Amino acid sequence: MTDYAFLLDLGRCIGCEACVAACKTGNELPTDLQFIQISEKSTGTFPDVTSLVLNHRCFHCTNAACVEVCPTGALYKEDGLTRLNREACSGCSYCVDACPFGVPQIYDGFSSKCDGCAEVVKAGGTPWCVKTCPNHALMYDTRENILAAAQNRLEALKGRYPDARIYGETEAGGLGMIVVMPDKPEAFDLPENPEPAFVIKAWQDLVQPVSAALTGLSIVVTGALAIIARRNHMQELARFEEDLAQREVAEATAGDSSQETTAEKEEV
Amino acid sequence: MTTQTQTMEHAHHRKVLRYSVGPRIVHWMMALSFLLLLFTGMVIFLPFLSHYASGGNSRLLHRIGAVIYMSIPVIYLFVDRKALKELLWDSFHYDRDDMKWLAHVYRYFMGHAAEMPPQGRLNAGQKLHHAGVVIFSAFIVISGLILWFGKGYMGPINLGIAAIFHDVSMLVLTVLLVGHLYFTFVYKALSGMTSGYIEEEDALLEHPKWVEELPAEEPWVVEEA
Ligand code: HEM
Ligand code: SF4
Ligand code: SF4
Ligand code: SF4
Repeated sequence: MTDYAFLLDLGRCIGCEACVAACKTGNELPTDLQFIQISEKSTGTFPDVTSLVLNHRCFHCTNAACVEVCPTGALYKEDGLTRLNREACSGCSYCVDACPFGVPQIYDGFSSKCDGCAEVVKAGGTPWCVKTCPNHALMYDTRENILAAAQNRLEALKGRYPDARIYGETEAGGLGMIVVMPDKPEAFDLPENPEPAFVIKAWQDLVQPVSAALTGLSIVVTGALAIIARRNHMQELARFEEDLAQREVAEATAGDSSQETTAEKEEV
Repeated sequence: MTTQTQTMEHAHHRKVLRYSVGPRIVHWMMALSFLLLLFTGMVIFLPFLSHYASGGNSRLLHRIGAVIYMSIPVIYLFVDRKALKELLWDSFHYDRDDMKWLAHVYRYFMGHAAEMPPQGRLNAGQKLHHAGVVIFSAFIVISGLILWFGKGYMGPINLGIAAIFHDVSMLVLTVLLVGHLYFTFVYKALSGMTSGYIEEEDALLEHPKWVEELPAEEPWVVEEA
């Protein structure tokens, strides 16, 4: 299986939103839904203002928190990318909360996000956003080729931007979106470490399996002992009833004799 | 003393009232809503059941179950205020015999009630069971409400914490249920929750301190025809 990946060159993205529109048209998304959000961020105080273009979209994490929490398998990994089968989705929103990038949205009751243009690329095409980008900020290829391309672009950037780096080579097990950035991830509102949160992992990998196992164990243990314990109880119950009956007889005779004694006494 | 002797004489033909109709209805509402919650929770918990969750119907059913489950204490209050108070009081108060009983609980677990310290209306195990249900129901309701209204806006940390509380409470409540079914079977105790009556000798063996206090008249004690 070859892993595929995107390249997102934030040194080249000019914020034109051509990708947003192409994605919407190509995937026939409703008017109020989009899988890419472009925004501008200004830093510094006048007159030293620099402005950055933020490009918010699915980063196709290898250790994807969304896939980890998805209870239905609606989200899954394929060819290095994170796919979504809306038919299987339950609308639980676990993925919405778990994603370190805040990517999935609930639309019309079910999750929706970029699926890497699964249909288009399987038919041999290029994702809509990539095809449209006028400034070549986006690429789509095998992960190997993308990493090589990212390296080349980084070299070109380094001279002008000393903080330039590649983001996504190893983060969260490696992202399916290799980002070339002229500044640190924080500058682009991206988390330094997009691994699934510790509590998410503890919940999925520890609490869930241990709970299931202990519940199962309790059923097995009680199931096995129920017959033995019930037989023990039936035996002790039979003995107890016998005792009760004997005590009854004893008390009845005792009662009779005491009555006799009183009668005798009275006679005397 | 007369009562005691009479009790003995008729030991084989008498039944004693364990649960009147109000608490019985509340019990079965709680049981059914719990099972509904458990099954609709399981479909997103156990991967091999997950196709039942697709589409979201199980989530609607989980919320219906949750509303019924959360209303149980209120319903109990209306149906039989005294029984609810007694249940809560008993479940959180343990006497010397109870502590001794708990120390030997493995014997009771194996079906030997005869040499256990004498118990009142609830044995110490039942008390612990009920106390556990009360405490972990509170946890599951609070974490459930947080998930219900917070999901989609709460972020990974809060989601993880609420879900862990919800799942651990689910584990405890389910294991308590398994134990509950086990003891019901071992001590053939089901009739207490169906007709409401149990055999007097069962009561004398397992709850002698309770039988002692019980008024020896209908409806608490009835003669079998
Ligand atoms: C009393 C018995 C209950 C049981 C056995 C139970 C069980 C479960 C289980 C196993 C899950 C799945 C968690 C996971 O995927 O790890 C779940 C999810 C959930 N539960 Fe419960 N639960 C109970 C009560 C409640 C209550 C009282 C509420 C609300 C007030 C509630 C609200 C939720 C919500 C909102 C979810 C998230 C999944 C969804 O949206 O369907 N639960 N429950
Ligand atoms: S890969 Fe396809 S679905 Fe994803 S943002 Fe680009 S056009 Fe939209
Ligand atoms: S960015 Fe979010 S939605 Fe995309 S793969 Fe990673 S966790 Fe999933
Ligand atoms: S909302 Fe859908 S896709 Fe997201 S975790 Fe729940 S079932 Fe999976």
